[in-house]
Amino acid sequence: MSRAHKLLRTRVVATVSAVAALGLVVGCSGGDGDGGTGGGVKDGEVTITMGLFGVMGYKETGLLDQYMKENPNVRIEAEVAGDEQTYYTALQTHLAAGSGLKDIQGIEIGRAKELADTQAAKFTDLSGVKGADHFLPWKLSQVTAKDDKVIGFGTDIGPMAVCYRKDMFEQAGLPTDREEVAELWEGDWSKYVEAGKEFKKGTKNDKVAFMDSASGLFNAMIYGNSEQFYNESGELIYQDNPAVTEAWKLAAEAGGTGLTAKLRQFQPGWDPGLANSTFATAVCPAWMLGHISEKAGPANKGKWDVAKAPKGANWGGSFLGVIDKSPVKEEAKKLVAWLTAPEQQESIFKKLGNFPSSQEALKAPAVTDAKSEYFSDAPIGKIFGEAAQEIPDKQVLGRKDGTIKDIFSQGLTLIESQGKSPDEAWKDTEDRIKKATG
Amino acid sequence: MATSLPTTRTGERERPRQRRRTLLHRLDLRGAPYAFITPFFVVFAAFSFYPLVYTAWISLHRVELATMNVMEWVAFDNYTALWQDERFWNALLNTLTLGVLSTVPQLMTALGLAHLLNYRLRGSTFFRVAAITPYATSVGAAALVFTMLFERDFGMINWMLSLVGVDNVDWENNKWAAQTAISTIVIWRWTGYNALLYLAAMQAVPRDRYEAAAIDGASRWQQFVSVTIPGIRSTIVFTIVLSTIGATQLFGEPLIFGQGPMGVTGGADNQYQTLGLLLYEEGWKNYQMGRAATVAWVMFLLLILVFVVQRVVKRLASRRASSVRTS
Amino acid sequence: MTTDSLPVRTDVRPQPPKDSRPARRSLRTRLRPGAGRQHHAGPLTYLLLTVAALVSLFPLYWTMVAASTDNTRVSQTPPPFLPGPHLLENLGKAWQDAALGKAMVNSFIVAGVIALSTVLFATLAGFAFAKLRFKGRNILLMLVIGTMMVPPQLSVVPLFMMMTDLGWGQKLPAVIFPTLVSAVGVFFMRQYLSEALPDELVEAGRIDGAHSLRIFWSIVLPIARPPMAVLFMITFVHAWNDFFWPFIVLDMTNPTVPVALTQLSAGYIRDQSLIMAGALLGTLPLLVMFVVFGRQIVGGIMQGAVKG
Repeated sequence: MSRAHKLLRTRVVATVSAVAALGLVVGCSGGDGDGGTGGGVKDGEVTITMGLFGVMGYKETGLLDQYMKENPNVRIEAEVAGDEQTYYTALQTHLAAGSGLKDIQGIEIGRAKELADTQAAKFTDLSGVKGADHFLPWKLSQVTAKDDKVIGFGTDIGPMAVCYRKDMFEQAGLPTDREEVAELWEGDWSKYVEAGKEFKKGTKNDKVAFMDSASGLFNAMIYGNSEQFYNESGELIYQDNPAVTEAWKLAAEAGGTGLTAKLRQFQPGWDPGLANSTFATAVCPAWMLGHISEKAGPANKGKWDVAKAPKGANWGGSFLGVIDKSPVKEEAKKLVAWLTAPEQQESIFKKLGNFPSSQEALKAPAVTDAKSEYFSDAPIGKIFGEAAQEIPDKQVLGRKDGTIKDIFSQGLTLIESQGKSPDEAWKDTEDRIKKATG
Repeated sequence: MATSLPTTRTGERERPRQRRRTLLHRLDLRGAPYAFITPFFVVFAAFSFYPLVYTAWISLHRVELATMNVMEWVAFDNYTALWQDERFWNALLNTLTLGVLSTVPQLMTALGLAHLLNYRLRGSTFFRVAAITPYATSVGAAALVFTMLFERDFGMINWMLSLVGVDNVDWENNKWAAQTAISTIVIWRWTGYNALLYLAAMQAVPRDRYEAAAIDGASRWQQFVSVTIPGIRSTIVFTIVLSTIGATQLFGEPLIFGQGPMGVTGGADNQYQTLGLLLYEEGWKNYQMGRAATVAWVMFLLLILVFVVQRVVKRLASRRASSVRTS
Repeated sequence: MTTDSLPVRTDVRPQPPKDSRPARRSLRTRLRPGAGRQHHAGPLTYLLLTVAALVSLFPLYWTMVAASTDNTRVSQTPPPFLPGPHLLENLGKAWQDAALGKAMVNSFIVAGVIALSTVLFATLAGFAFAKLRFKGRNILLMLVIGTMMVPPQLSVVPLFMMMTDLGWGQKLPAVIFPTLVSAVGVFFMRQYLSEALPDELVEAGRIDGAHSLRIFWSIVLPIARPPMAVLFMITFVHAWNDFFWPFIVLDMTNPTVPVALTQLSAGYIRDQSLIMAGALLGTLPLLVMFVVFGRQIVGGIMQGAVKG
């Protein structure tokens, strides 16, 4: 027994030291320890690291592979985080500590202003990069810091339309042709809500709601204005901005009168709603089409269509920035310029539906003539292209845009799902915004 | 050992040796305890205590996550603001109700389960492993599955309820439904773990106590109450302390249950926002590290308060009990 | 603790500490842990345990079902109860998309080192707090308990700065070092040992001239083995599943399993089945460990009981 015990003891000791040693070895061999960006040049091979999130699609469409093929001395290591909130938290922490950053970092539109205001010094100025004068003017102004430094290049934009179910419209006695449907609510979002009331009256299936969520409508309305929550000098103006208050009123009305399916876009409950056809319309930015077709599934192919929205608006869109400290800054700039170049934007649009932020790409026939098979062959290039024209030429962003947008969605949920009055919900929303911006 | 050596010559030599031995012995008695706890405290000081103090320092400032080097001294403003903040009291209350909802059934069930597992069983390994399996599941995976099961329109639980004629429950937006669902995740994950701890402790209860109790004519239930429970008292205390602390820090389950931005705030109406979530909201949604640090320190102080009060009550109770006995 | 009934001293004292074998054996028979109660289980017990096992296992089973179907099927009413045809396909895709190979190795290293060191240091400290007398014992113990109350999210910023200064950013030591010891572990071992280790045994060892380390080695360790095994398992699981801090400090070039799994919800379109497949893969090593070691750990304790 004692021998067995001794044997066990030696074995335990051996295991302990082995595991500990292994831990040290692996610990020392991973990464490069200078607190840099992970990229660098070694034996003539350039390594560029990228930090991306959610819906950017560069990895998925094979664009990164293509770049590496065309530039055999370049290796790209891209890391895609799922949730943008988590991604941004890590980015903030890394910026705060000045380490753990990638050579290239994705920037979501809701964070653009905050980064341009507080972190511009950590990004490289992209304004001088050649052949980069093809972006929509408002796109780049969103990431331009006070000293005219451009901290990122635009990826896509989010012009809006309304996606709707032809079969449900027909059943409710509404027109189904996309031109006629567009006419139903032409020029005014309140007509869209009126159409919803018609739909509710006409439909025989009380399990089907007119739209998925009140916040979709709210977003579409506020983003049609050049100012939303902040004015140009960075002051909070949402309380007195008619664009916001009117959107709130209408969305609250829709949410409070049972026109919505009480879902939250891009959250798991939304997907089964699509799969099981529980709503007839969704306000859809271009990049949402891919999601709808995937989640609604082949069974619903041809039942969906796309109609022009009452007013043009831009929801979403991202940027790619280059970290100033990067040892491969020039190569990273080149890669960013390439990824956001008209040809690549076209290619992403064709594969995923992300709408180009490049004026040239917007004019390309591959974009203007594009049709969506899933959405009853709707001419999405034309519809979204025209919507993009209507987007106000000035888009004022604010520091906490992303957070405030979430707080408003939350406020609308109070009305939709918890039976609060719009006034109560507005008061809660105000309190929360005060906390979030204070 | 030493006394077995015969001659006086060695006996003379022995004295200094023995003195050295007693010295060593004393050194051992005095020093060994400290040597034993040193590794813990060294690592603790470096990676827990220092951050804790730093956090206290941060809580006296206005600091944003992205610009940690810019700290504006505000003294105790963060603390007074928190005191006046409705969300704080709401979160405190939710932490309390969620704590009770998840801890009490969990420990009761665990005790019962351990008792059952302590029988002589066929397939006992299977039952034990089955009981502990949920614990192997990460918070993330568990919360994801339960979120799907508790889904409002197409979730399995609502489907089963519909079979017995209950209308769809909005598990997220109804306050008590949401707290029940979140507690379910906690209970599912931790009951088996606690049961295993109880079982291990039950196995260490000496058998003669049961024999003595049996001789005294105690029924099985009486044996359970008068032998098993007292016999595993320290372990029960351990699990109570641990689940209380776990309950105050409840975070991952409600965060994932709420899905996305709604999780951070603990529901649209903060109906299941815990103190842990409030901390997270302040720090990682509003990026106000000073306020987040304040919440953390208040949580810390509250727990200390709870334990001090508990100790005082216990001491008073035992003093009263003893004075009753002597009178 | 009433240990009076245990005739421990008379057994131990005559034994020289160097040859502790007979002492241990007689001790073990006397102290037979797990004497517990050994009534045979009735049908009701089996029924209740079966229900408990079903409740325990169902969510995992359903994870597997969800991982084996596709997005549309998963959200149908009535929900699917039987696995669909895509399990292997989804598992393979999840393994590849999240690059789980390296993550698994990393997680094993991280969790293994943390669990071993936690068990070792917790047993040492737990023994000291339970059975040794020294100045400041109570205050230090309160301090240990106090540290359990610190919400872990908050140390993140100072810790991250520290790791950057140490040059450990994106490296495994940054995840390993802060959790090399655990207050919970110390508290757990203390609670167990103060119950299961009679004072007389330690005193007997002292009278025989054994120094503290020897007492620890030949008296404490054998008794503490079951809780050590439990603590190892618990710590391993905890370290394996830890997400927030590793996510902040590591990156995808050198991730642990939970960090790597975030890649799955990163796709352009969120694929619920794929996420479930990933969750299943991430849990699988732990399940295997529980099935393999769980039997030994719990079985070991049981064995003593049954034989006695």
